[in-house]
Amino acid sequence: MVLKNNLKEIRQKNGFTQEELGTDVGVSRQTIISIERYRYKPTLELAMKLAQKLNIKIEKLFYFE
Amino acid sequence: MNLSKKEFSILIEIIYSIVFALIFLPYFYENQEKNLILMDGLIEKIIQIIISTLIYFSIAYSILEVIYKKKETRDERDDMINSKSYKLGYLIYEFSLFIFIGYVCSKFQNKELLNLTGNQQLYNNFQLTDGGIVFFVLVLLAFISIIKSLYQFYLHRTV
Repeated sequence: MVLKNNLKEIRQKNGFTQEELGTDVGVSRQTIISIERYRYKPTLELAMKLAQKLNIKIEKLFYFE
Repeated sequence: MNLSKKEFSILIEIIYSIVFALIFLPYFYENQEKNLILMDGLIEKIIQIIISTLIYFSIAYSILEVIYKKKETRDERDDMINSKSYKLGYLIYEFSLFIFIGYVCSKFQNKELLNLTGNQQLYNNFQLTDGGIVFFVLVLLAFISIIKSLYQFYLHRTV
């Protein structure tokens, strides 16, 4: 099982750039890029911040495949 | 290749370690048979190392600040990368301690073997000197620093 996410699609749908979303949740643009490319698995705290910012349930944002 | 501020800062450290190894290690290599008190110009060399290090990092980081004016956020990904690279550095450090102990033991063992041969001149020349220890430790430090920084750079590019 691999942890994947819909971050890119949902971020774009909400009209955020990687830079803006990163600044809002307190991480760098590189971290957002890494999460979107499934290279980096965020901590629960960051995952929840992202879900809250994008106004979506965490299980809709991150899922196992 | 598009590099971030953090990656540039790691490159600065790698370049420093390599330049340090190329410029200053030969001096300690040449003097490894001597004790520290007998090393020619040791104080001058230490002052030279300190001053050149300060100048290098001041210039390098000033240039970095000019190129990348925007402050970069330090986040959990950086902490993860740092902890992984420091862990590798620590493992190499532990391993190198064994090498160091082996180096010291082999010096004493070889010295005793030379004593058995009765060759007094060789016996007197074969010593574990302060210079030798300093050289060995500096080589290990430079090696560990380069490997750790390279791994850190690799993680920044791939994670």
